Amino acid sequence: MAEDALRARDVRKTYRTRGGPAVEALRGVSLSIRRGERVALLGRNGAGKTTFLRIASTLLLPTAGTVEVLGHDVAAEPDAVRPLIGVVPQEGKPFFHLTPREQVYAYLRARGVPREEAHRKTEWALGRVGLEDVADRLAITLSGGQKQRTMVATILATEAPLLFLDEPTIGLDPFARRAVWETLRQLARAGSTILLTTHYLDEAEALSDRLYIVEEGRVLAEGTADSLKRQVGGTIRVSVKDGAGIADRLGTYGSTVTEDGTVHVVTGEEKVGEIVDLAMKRGLSATVGPVTLEEAFLRVVGRSIDED
Amino acid sequence: MAFVRRWKGTGVFLGTELRMTLHDPLAIASSALVEGILLVFVWVLARDLLPFALLGSLVYSLFLIGQYVLSEAAYIRIDHRLNEMYHASPLSPEAYFLGMASGIGIGYVPTTLALFVLALVVVPMTAAGFVAILGVLLAVWTISASIAYTISTLFKDMKAIWPWASLIANVLGVVPPVFYPLDRWPVEWRSLALVLPTSGGAALAEAAAGILPLAQDEVVLAATALGLEALVAFAFTVWWSHRSAREA
Repeated sequence: MAEDALRARDVRKTYRTRGGPAVEALRGVSLSIRRGERVALLGRNGAGKTTFLRIASTLLLPTAGTVEVLGHDVAAEPDAVRPLIGVVPQEGKPFFHLTPREQVYAYLRARGVPREEAHRKTEWALGRVGLEDVADRLAITLSGGQKQRTMVATILATEAPLLFLDEPTIGLDPFARRAVWETLRQLARAGSTILLTTHYLDEAEALSDRLYIVEEGRVLAEGTADSLKRQVGGTIRVSVKDGAGIADRLGTYGSTVTEDGTVHVVTGEEKVGEIVDLAMKRGLSATVGPVTLEEAFLRVVGRSIDED
Repeated sequence: MAFVRRWKGTGVFLGTELRMTLHDPLAIASSALVEGILLVFVWVLARDLLPFALLGSLVYSLFLIGQYVLSEAAYIRIDHRLNEMYHASPLSPEAYFLGMASGIGIGYVPTTLALFVLALVVVPMTAAGFVAILGVLLAVWTISASIAYTISTLFKDMKAIWPWASLIANVLGVVPPVFYPLDRWPVEWRSLALVLPTSGGAALAEAAAGILPLAQDEVVLAATALGLEALVAFAFTVWWSHRSAREA
């Protein structure tokens, strides 16, 4: 039995466009996911996350390289891979004229699950994601978060060994996002192996055991959120508003990034007092906080995740 | 065994699609609108042509199902992206296509059934004629649903699809001799009318009912064309459903 749930080697994808230049969406992505692990592909819009996920889920052929799901090559053996995976597509929505109960059950039956088992798994999945109360309402009447949880329940019910979720909370309000997060944590507790893509830093940190930072079709960094933050070179961030005039002095305390006139210094705890003193002597305000994944992303990619 | 596996799930997806179709009774009721209006016109303006219009509307109602398949397949793919969820599952693309087309077909049966009953009242027919008409209707449904499913995979915007649905339904369904007899169509284009799935199907149905005299070679031409078109359209769509389920 394959040890890794997913293993990708040097995956490349080039889109040919009619009359225009070819677009290299993936430029040699290699990664692996162990069984039971939750892994996030973190990157800006257009970084290549969805392209990779579509290749891994048998929906797109790679131009070069291989992806194996539980030992099966996704390009050569899609029929062997499909029973092993479940996919929630980006901005996917349930059938509006089915209830969550009907949606989950119908999907299981379409996958070949026998009737009784499909009923049992449907109830189990709806319970796990907390949709029992709305299980018989048409999906069109549900909130955005409930619709997304219906989608998650649909693949959860399959009990497929590897689940793919493409930007699972895109377009949801903060409350709905939290509800979906909780649902995804339920998936992890149920032992599912998960690969999710996201451009939300907090989501990647909250939901993954390990993450890959993807930019322009390449993996630029890999590790746990904590290990990536440690690579930044400090544990504390001091932000000095309008500190451009003392940027050189601030640079002696650690690595700096200037954004809209504010100088962010990533440094160690022992230097925080000195930096704050320096700022106050110049009449500038300084705020202190822990280093976040945002600094790690900025350091690795060289620009903010929100930058177009 | 592999053949059975490929089509497994068709019935389940048919049930899903049927349930969704039945959720919208207004759409089912309004599906008879075009046929109904044209029948009223014929009733008022040229009552002697009513048998032709009735059999034509029967063929047209099946052809129109393609329009619903086109809208539904595109809607599920573009607005809901559920096709990806299904294509990345053990359900084969051909089972997905056939399940959807059959579910929609059965959902819209009341319209066809009502027209069939009306046709039987107005045009008495033999058992052989009845069976022949059923065969024609099956072929027309196969052609329209297959073409529609293929077209649905070609666009990324629902708005780009709507004109196609309307264009195909009107150009192939209303312009050629579907609602009116073949002999009112320019004689030099008679063969064209016989090989078009809609007017050819209508001509065969009218011949089977005994209201349109067709020469033997014309029956052979129309039946061969309809059968071949159904076979080719279905085979191509099965192949295309695989091809489009997984982008290259």
